[in-house]
Amino acid sequence: MDGTAAVNRFGLGARPEELRDATGDPHGWLLAQVQPFASLPAVFAGLPSTPEMLRARASLQQRRRRQRQSAPVDAAAGAGAAAEAADPLRQQQRTLSREALRHVQARNAHAVASTQPLAERLVRFWSNHFAVSVDKNAIRLLAAPMELEAIRPRVFGRFADLLLAVQRHPAMLGYLDNDASVGPDSAAALRAQRAGRQRGLNENLAREILELHTLGVDGGYSQADVTELARALTGWGVAAPMRVAADDSAHGFVFRAAAHQPGVRQMLGRRYPQAGIAQAEAMLRDLARHPATALHLAFKLARHFVADAPPPDLVAAIAKSWQDSDGDLAVVYRTLIEHPLAWQAQARKFKTPEDWLLSAQRATGLLLPAQALLALSRGLGQPLFMPRSPAGFPDTAADWLGADALRKRVQAATGLAARAVTDAPPLALARQALGEDLDADLAAALRGAGSFREGVALLLASPDFQWRA
Amino acid sequence: MAVDRRQFLLALGSGASLALCGGWARARSAAQPQSRLLVVLLRGGMDGLHLLPPLADPAYPRLRGALALPEGLPLDGQFALHPALPFAHQLYRDGQLAALLAVAPPYRQRSHFEAQDCLENGSASPHGLRDGWMARALQVSATGSAVAVAPVLPLTLRGSARARTWSPPLSQRVDDALWQRLQTLYAADAELGAPFDAALRMDAGHSQRGTFGLVEAVAAATRLMQGADGAGMAFVEDGGWDTHRNQAPVLARKFGQLDAALRAARDGLGADWARTMVLVVSEFGRTAAVNGSGGTDHGTGGIALLAGGAVRGGRLLGDWPGLAPAQLNEGRDVRATTDLRALCKGVLAEHVGLHPGLLETRVFPDSRQVRPLRDLIRTG
Repeated sequence: MDGTAAVNRFGLGARPEELRDATGDPHGWLLAQVQPFASLPAVFAGLPSTPEMLRARASLQQRRRRQRQSAPVDAAAGAGAAAEAADPLRQQQRTLSREALRHVQARNAHAVASTQPLAERLVRFWSNHFAVSVDKNAIRLLAAPMELEAIRPRVFGRFADLLLAVQRHPAMLGYLDNDASVGPDSAAALRAQRAGRQRGLNENLAREILELHTLGVDGGYSQADVTELARALTGWGVAAPMRVAADDSAHGFVFRAAAHQPGVRQMLGRRYPQAGIAQAEAMLRDLARHPATALHLAFKLARHFVADAPPPDLVAAIAKSWQDSDGDLAVVYRTLIEHPLAWQAQARKFKTPEDWLLSAQRATGLLLPAQALLALSRGLGQPLFMPRSPAGFPDTAADWLGADALRKRVQAATGLAARAVTDAPPLALARQALGEDLDADLAAALRGAGSFREGVALLLASPDFQWRA
Repeated sequence: MAVDRRQFLLALGSGASLALCGGWARARSAAQPQSRLLVVLLRGGMDGLHLLPPLADPAYPRLRGALALPEGLPLDGQFALHPALPFAHQLYRDGQLAALLAVAPPYRQRSHFEAQDCLENGSASPHGLRDGWMARALQVSATGSAVAVAPVLPLTLRGSARARTWSPPLSQRVDDALWQRLQTLYAADAELGAPFDAALRMDAGHSQRGTFGLVEAVAAATRLMQGADGAGMAFVEDGGWDTHRNQAPVLARKFGQLDAALRAARDGLGADWARTMVLVVSEFGRTAAVNGSGGTDHGTGGIALLAGGAVRGGRLLGDWPGLAPAQLNEGRDVRATTDLRALCKGVLAEHVGLHPGLLETRVFPDSRQVRPLRDLIRTG
């Protein structure tokens, strides 16, 4: 029982042999995965970095602007398909989309093959916690690079470092408009005023940091705290694309002193007299260790890994571990893994579309090409990197379970079964994915399946395969 | 967003609040179970000046240049409908379509993302509220459900347990034998059994090879609104309205789809059309002048349409601010003279029967100063 929970609830769903590996010592199997990645996995090498995406986007925008200025207004000439195909602007757009797809492909391939599935689940957990959404055009190309550059290397370190890395990343700064925020008394604001333009404070990022990323909506902050944090964050911006190196270690972040609001800030009863970038850094570090943050994130972790309504004692234990370790995530995860309340027999989580697609690929040996993955994710209701809100995708069965959702999974299961490559009999696949003590009715149905394809579809569409249990 | 239960209960229980909203002869405190509301959100900033060109205004051809429409389907002496909307024009003549001029949500920064959030969360700001005005309307109405034809629940409908999504079936055919085998298995799962049975019974409609666009989405919405168990409110969204470049052929095509969608709504709803209102909105209009590539850029005041048997149509509503340079907002786009919330409040009060006091406190918080539009629906 604990073996299946380890691979299916804490991991990404069993690959062949994985259950066998985990069953002897499920806790140990998980704990062994709680360690920083030695280096960037090979599959991610050579993918476009954030600075490269910024530069490509800027170049595209420049081209569009030039075209808009020079193009004759000719209503009839617009839409010849051949003309579009030859259009260098369109070609550039297609190239950019291909580059973004490479990220999607690598990310999926890595997760499907991973022997550290707990780590992959954690990367996705934090990526969703620090959600950006690609329906905001400006950051369409930056969401996947942000996960790779800011989040992946830090999921086993200190939360404070993860928080800071995310808030310095161009994707987050652009998504929540901090790159446009200037202090009302900053040099940049005064300059703009003299030129007859309006530039001012944007509180979006500060608000979401307090409400979503750290303390939580009930965490006890006030509007004044939001404004003060926003003032401190002025100047945290994105470098001019043509001026930043492709392998810039800051991934395109730049601190613009001219935009920074001068002065001492006050937040949650503390004074922050630091100058420049150090000011908001200090505030973020204090937020990272705040008790409300510990509680908020302990709850989210427990809800993600154990149950929609996680046991309060488990949440409390994780929060305490957070506080005692000053937000050392490896310690926090160990507390979760070693706690008896994380292993109750009836605990189960309804798979999100992403969970389901990953577990289906792992169980059958299928690796979906990027386009198919994107289409299926969208069709099943969880478009990749598009939660449409900084709150990310929701994490309870009530949000994902419904008649329509189930109907689509049955359809998708049929489609995936048609592509599956393994030649193991469906019953064997089921045992490898769900355990030897497979549900008797499912086993019988699989034995009676008319074909390999029908059997695989049955497995992927079965109720047991819809749960991380 | 936490429900302010005290406020809610006070509003319900206080008979005095009805008197405060004097003149609401038609206001009821319970939802009218029969009325149907379909909200269509055109994402991207639909160009109101191209939908309803003010042909009689000399400023129009001057501002729009080659983009100016030479003619249109006449509405009144001043405005016409784009030629691609003959069905909408017929509705107008039949008194079943009205247009609201120069309307926008109370947001002025011209960012799609924020403007849409402001429109959807029904407040004065894109930030803050994480739930939507239709969801809050559902909360204060005693019964009924809502459905969004979308893969993910849009902000407008987030916050109510009675809101759900529907999106087109994947094109994959499933063998009946598989459904049967699965049914036995699902029956044994405490949480999945009931939704699976519902999944089996679902008329998922024809799967779509190719595009599932506005027309198909509206048709699907009307199917989901039919019958006694049908959703009382539905939401459909459509993209591709952000016409920065070469907009004449693009909008000709999109307006044609909008016209076909209105027809699909009437045909799909059948007898329910008499009790239906379709509200077509967008997050803002576009610049008054054509830009350098045959398109327009983000603006402010736009057009909203009301269509349906329940509408007191055949009229243009609102206050047209004019196109003279001094009349334009920041010298570049149509000024908004009506807050979109006024339209939504009017529709919810008169058509859905929600209590005006609740509208200005719960459904559209802090909106006391936004007077609901009135006389939107047909009497008798």
